Amino acid sequence: MSDLSPGAGRPGVIHDLGYRHFDGVREDTPAIARTLFVTGLRHAYGLGRSGKSKVMPFILLAMSLLPATIVVGVVVLTGLGELPVSYADYTNQTQLLVSLFAASQAPVLFSRDLRHRSIVLYLARPLPAPVFAVVRWLSLTLAIFLFTAIPTVVLFAGAMLSGLDKSDQTTAVLKAVVLQALLAMMIAGVSGLISSVSLRRGFAVVGSVMALIVLTGIVTVMQNIAYYEGDSETVSVGVGLLSPWSLHNGLANAWDAGVATPVPVDGAWVPAYVIVAVLLVAACLLGLVARFRKVGSR
Amino acid sequence: MGRPPVISTAGLTKHYGTVHALTDLTVDVGAGVTGLVGANGAGKSTLIKILLGLLEPTGGHASVLGHDIEHESQDIRRLVGYMPEHDCLPPDVSASDFVVHMARMSGLGASAARERSADVLRHVGLDEERYRPMGGYSTGMKQRAKLAQALAHDPRLVFLDEPTNGLDPAARTDMLRLVQRIGSDFGIAVLVTSHLLGELEQVSDHVIVLDGGHLLRSSATGEFLQRTGSLLVEVVGTETERDRLGEALAQRGLTCRPRGAMVAIDPPPPELAEGGAVHDLIRDVAADLGLGLMRLQPDRHHLEDVFLEGGTRV
Repeated sequence: MSDLSPGAGRPGVIHDLGYRHFDGVREDTPAIARTLFVTGLRHAYGLGRSGKSKVMPFILLAMSLLPATIVVGVVVLTGLGELPVSYADYTNQTQLLVSLFAASQAPVLFSRDLRHRSIVLYLARPLPAPVFAVVRWLSLTLAIFLFTAIPTVVLFAGAMLSGLDKSDQTTAVLKAVVLQALLAMMIAGVSGLISSVSLRRGFAVVGSVMALIVLTGIVTVMQNIAYYEGDSETVSVGVGLLSPWSLHNGLANAWDAGVATPVPVDGAWVPAYVIVAVLLVAACLLGLVARFRKVGSR
Repeated sequence: MGRPPVISTAGLTKHYGTVHALTDLTVDVGAGVTGLVGANGAGKSTLIKILLGLLEPTGGHASVLGHDIEHESQDIRRLVGYMPEHDCLPPDVSASDFVVHMARMSGLGASAARERSADVLRHVGLDEERYRPMGGYSTGMKQRAKLAQALAHDPRLVFLDEPTNGLDPAARTDMLRLVQRIGSDFGIAVLVTSHLLGELEQVSDHVIVLDGGHLLRSSATGEFLQRTGSLLVEVVGTETERDRLGEALAQRGLTCRPRGAMVAIDPPPPELAEGGAVHDLIRDVAADLGLGLMRLQPDRHHLEDVFLEGGTRV
């Protein structure tokens, strides 16, 4: 076949120029997955999308950074001997913003392709459906992790500037970062799964808000009631297994990362919290893979 | 042609519970444009999805470009392009950005993807509008954008599922011309589906007809359109004139029947068929009756006839 056949009799029409084949290098599947991962991460912050879609993620990020900068200013100016809030507790205090970020951005990565059916175009390409689902989850996980880690880095920089003990601060910051990574995996799983099932953006956001914010509120209230009114420490700690945030806080408490829970998490509860957190992530991932597999075969 | 087939299936079967979408399909598809014809629900889309590795067949085997669909579907998806039947474009992205992204998802590097996308969008005829969000596109523009993403990575085979769906007659002709060019000028094998037989008559080198999941026929388009030996005659005037001619010809020993505004004459007896004697006879009869002869042409088979013949199969 001719690569450069001249336009047949219509030289003035631009799309009658010849067709050129591509004989360059084609990337392998891991490279394609990496491209999808980076694109997904950028899209979670509205980068590479319309100007309007950058507003929400960056306003939320600014709001969660504002208290950190104030804290840093206060610590540096007044020379306090320690940060007024621990790294892990800062994430906990800004949980509403983190949850809102996840709820508003998960539909970008998990609903759009399904709602507009462009998922079919992805699945007709080399990446298999399960890999697609996992890569999307990784993008959202890293986006949420960065959302929590950036204020932590600001706080840490402030602590270093005001000359707080380096090794103490480093230990605390590393603990907080590990907990944030686990938290990001859980929240990305929950909000991603909800978004992949409820394709209307509104429903997806409301569903994630219910699961992340309302449920956590209920769990916190129940934990307090069980402890202060019901006198039952077991119920109070046990209820903490029911939401990603209470799992994060319980583990932070057990690990001495500076988060207070109504009842200290210790003994056999610690492995229970870890196992439930890991199981939650695994279940969400399995759900996502199953969901994308099913859509791909339609 | 001596070249290995682009697609080859053997006993391919797909059942959804009691619904039999494909039954024992054994067919080869070569280079050029191949039309896949069938009514809605005949199994066309199911076949394409099985070949892409998106659906698992209930039974049978198939290979695409020499790769087995069961074990090498990832290699297949690297080499083929797919234009689905339904809408699949995100409304808030421009065609330009979208096609670049899709080319990258097929394994092209960033700069190669940009270059190829610009090329392909030009070939499908999306000009300035490629920079606008696709939500505001007309159906014709959407179909072009869908076609562009299928070609972005320079596949060796494209599956086009109902590319003329929802297009007006002019856009339909444009799209068909484009399909034909992909097969001939671009050198990409094409499997194009349609439920409109007339369309595929125009562009395909080869036609496969499916009916209710069964293979009805697979042969070169030319064979479908062979002459039947019958003649079609049209005269100036209304049905009255048509019937006068038909009756007069019948008296001369020809079997005639009305077809639309024309008279269809069954293959004439051997003594009249030789040397165009039957043409002379028709001319003379028309002249005797004082009718203006408007058209005299050999009748050809139509793809539709395959279905009429197939109807008796059941």
